[in-house]
Amino acid sequence: MENFKVVRLDGVNLTTLKIIGFLDAHTAPTLEEAIQKLLDEEQVNILVDFKELSYISSAGLGVFMGFIEEVRSKNGDIKMCAMSPKIYRVFDLLGFPTIYQIFDKQEEALATFPQNSAASSSE
Amino acid sequence: MKKIGPISLILPLALFLGGVLIDLNVLGGLFDSRALDYLREGLITLALILSLPLIYKQRLASDRNIIRGLRTLFYLILGTFLLLLISNLEPFAAQSLSTGHNVLYGSLVNYFILTAWALFSSLLVLVILGTLRNLIFIKQKKSTALHFFLLMLFLVFYGVLSITNISDLDFRFSYRLSSENLGYVLLFIVINLMVLNSFRVAWINYLNRRQKMTLFWGGMILVPLQWLLYIKFHTANPAALFSPVLGRFVDLGFLFLSIYISLSFIALIFHLPTAHLFDRQIKQLSSLHTLSRAISSEFNLERLAETTVELAVQVTEADSGWLALAAGDSAPWRLAAARNLSTTEMDGGVPEPISRWAIAQLRPKLINHVGKSELNVPMSVWKHDVQSLLAVPLRSGEEAIGCLYVGKKFEYGFEQDDLDMLRAFSEQAVIAIRNARLVESSLVRERLEQELRIAHNAQMKLLPKRMPRLPGVLLDAVCRTANEVGGDYYDFFRIDENRLGLVIGDVSGKGASAAFIMAELKGIMEALAPKHHSPKELLIAANETLFGNIDRNVFVSLVYGIVNAGAGEIVFCRAGQCPVLYAPATGEKVHIIEPKGMGLGLDEGENFAQALEEYRQTFRSGDTFLFYTDGAVEARNARGEEFTETRLVSLFQRHHALPPEQLQARLIEEISGFVGSARSHDDLTFVILQAV
Repeated sequence: MENFKVVRLDGVNLTTLKIIGFLDAHTAPTLEEAIQKLLDEEQVNILVDFKELSYISSAGLGVFMGFIEEVRSKNGDIKMCAMSPKIYRVFDLLGFPTIYQIFDKQEEALATFPQNSAASSSE
Repeated sequence: MKKIGPISLILPLALFLGGVLIDLNVLGGLFDSRALDYLREGLITLALILSLPLIYKQRLASDRNIIRGLRTLFYLILGTFLLLLISNLEPFAAQSLSTGHNVLYGSLVNYFILTAWALFSSLLVLVILGTLRNLIFIKQKKSTALHFFLLMLFLVFYGVLSITNISDLDFRFSYRLSSENLGYVLLFIVINLMVLNSFRVAWINYLNRRQKMTLFWGGMILVPLQWLLYIKFHTANPAALFSPVLGRFVDLGFLFLSIYISLSFIALIFHLPTAHLFDRQIKQLSSLHTLSRAISSEFNLERLAETTVELAVQVTEADSGWLALAAGDSAPWRLAAARNLSTTEMDGGVPEPISRWAIAQLRPKLINHVGKSELNVPMSVWKHDVQSLLAVPLRSGEEAIGCLYVGKKFEYGFEQDDLDMLRAFSEQAVIAIRNARLVESSLVRERLEQELRIAHNAQMKLLPKRMPRLPGVLLDAVCRTANEVGGDYYDFFRIDENRLGLVIGDVSGKGASAAFIMAELKGIMEALAPKHHSPKELLIAANETLFGNIDRNVFVSLVYGIVNAGAGEIVFCRAGQCPVLYAPATGEKVHIIEPKGMGLGLDEGENFAQALEEYRQTFRSGDTFLFYTDGAVEARNARGEEFTETRLVSLFQRHHALPPEQLQARLIEEISGFVGSARSHDDLTFVILQAV
């Protein structure tokens, strides 16, 4: 099985999750844990960076669906950025762009979060 | 066991009766002569010799049960002693001595009592000799049989020699050797043989400690009693009054018994101090043996743990014992089995410090005084009555899979010996536990596989068994699941003679959970399809139902279309599913039709309804539609390359003119060829519609 990794980059009022590798039914729990941990810490402004993700399955997409309601009820959001065309296609087919804000570039996404003092530099 | 032939009993008895017959003549006063006396003794001697095989053949002698033989001896001696006390034979002996005349013929009562005694005591001695032989022969050596036979032989010799006592006749064999002197020589030989035979007491080794103790107390009574009996019989031997030959035989038989049990008793006393140790070693060996047997026969982990603890407690003679097994990397150890632990102690489980202590050791450890050890606090809180403790970790390689404990209520309860024993014991237990676990996991796997097979069959039954017939179109479909059960789905719904509902869908995720939702979806679609003649309306209703019934992280993508064969058109909606491929018969480029839409279960309703777009496509004869799920484009080969939509489209472009059945087979074949040896990881479904 291919590897999957979540790298967490904490900003002041925003956390970026870089997801790397292969996100499917087997690796989805890793991402679930990472997001759950953020919610436990009351961190609800989440940006997911897809730049290094090579594959996403329906189970992987389900992870975001599982959390979005709770995040939004706490006035936060899960936003996405830097998807490869192939991965964007999967999101698009399912109609995800009407549910999530998806950005081409990380900087564009960062600017949309309130009171953000740039977490991108920590990389 | 040899059977006692009737001959060997009847013949001696007949001869004995012959002797009695002669006596009756004497009693009747018919005639009395010396010659008759010799004849009488001759008959009795013959009877004795002929009854000797009884020693070898009698039932008791062939019985190997030591304790039963000993018990027989005990009761025989006790009974005879009591009988002797009751019947009081002293007067006869006194009478015989004072008158110098044989009291046998004094009166009929005398004769009856003495004859009965003679017969009884002779039989008694035969039984006793048989029992002794049984004991002696338990551990037979080369000379055992010979020595015993010689003893019997000289017993008879010495008895026969007493014939000379009938009269004052004293044979002179030579100048120096009179029959009296010969008697001494024979007696000397007989006593030596008795002592020689009395050293054969190996049977003591076969007794356990409890039996030895019982025998010791029994011996305390029996040995003095037997000597008393012997002395009493020696001075007033009724058999001797009946016949000198029998008299000597009985006398010597009792002497042999006295010597034998005395020497046995002494040997027993020497065995007693080591009896405990001896016993323990035997118990240890048998416990190890029992455990080895358990390994090969017991695959139930729970019962195996019980057996292990039970045997460990038994072998170390501990007051309590328990076995803790590692449950996982971080989970606390599980109390697998226990002996003499109270319910509160059981429910509490082994306290962390005690089990952690065992992991740290990885070596068996003995605590002589718990109160003075590092375990003092946890032990006194958990189980205060354990004063000495022996812990042996169960090691599988370098890893501790559990720990076996035994405890005693007093300090210094265990020895180094116990520790070594328990170590050997634990090594066996590890093998047993590992075996049990292997069997258990393979059983679980087998059961799961079986259940998955059942689920697979059940799911296949949810798909249409045959293609529906619709005038003017040909239909075909195929569904390949990556696992035993999957989330792909297709179905058809008859609306009227010209119209047919068609659905192809994919539940997110995989395996059993996806399969359940797929079954639910089928139910929803079947219920809604007859009611709604617009795909969009139907899907909005389906989304509403589904949204309330599934987890938020699960969704369904599907295409629902209504084919109108009469009008030559298809109206469909794409709810998050892959696009529909349309190849016109003209051979122009394949259309990738991707109307807007969203997966079911993602949104409560408003967005979903807004996103969903209904698409209408007319078709003519020879036009072909291909509906597919993402398994077709995401199929991967060993290098990790995906099949992709591009490949699928060009494949469809080349072969769209094939009849649906062949086209379907072709697509599957091409994709399988592309995937090669790689394991497919997603379900794959095609539905093909072709206008004729």
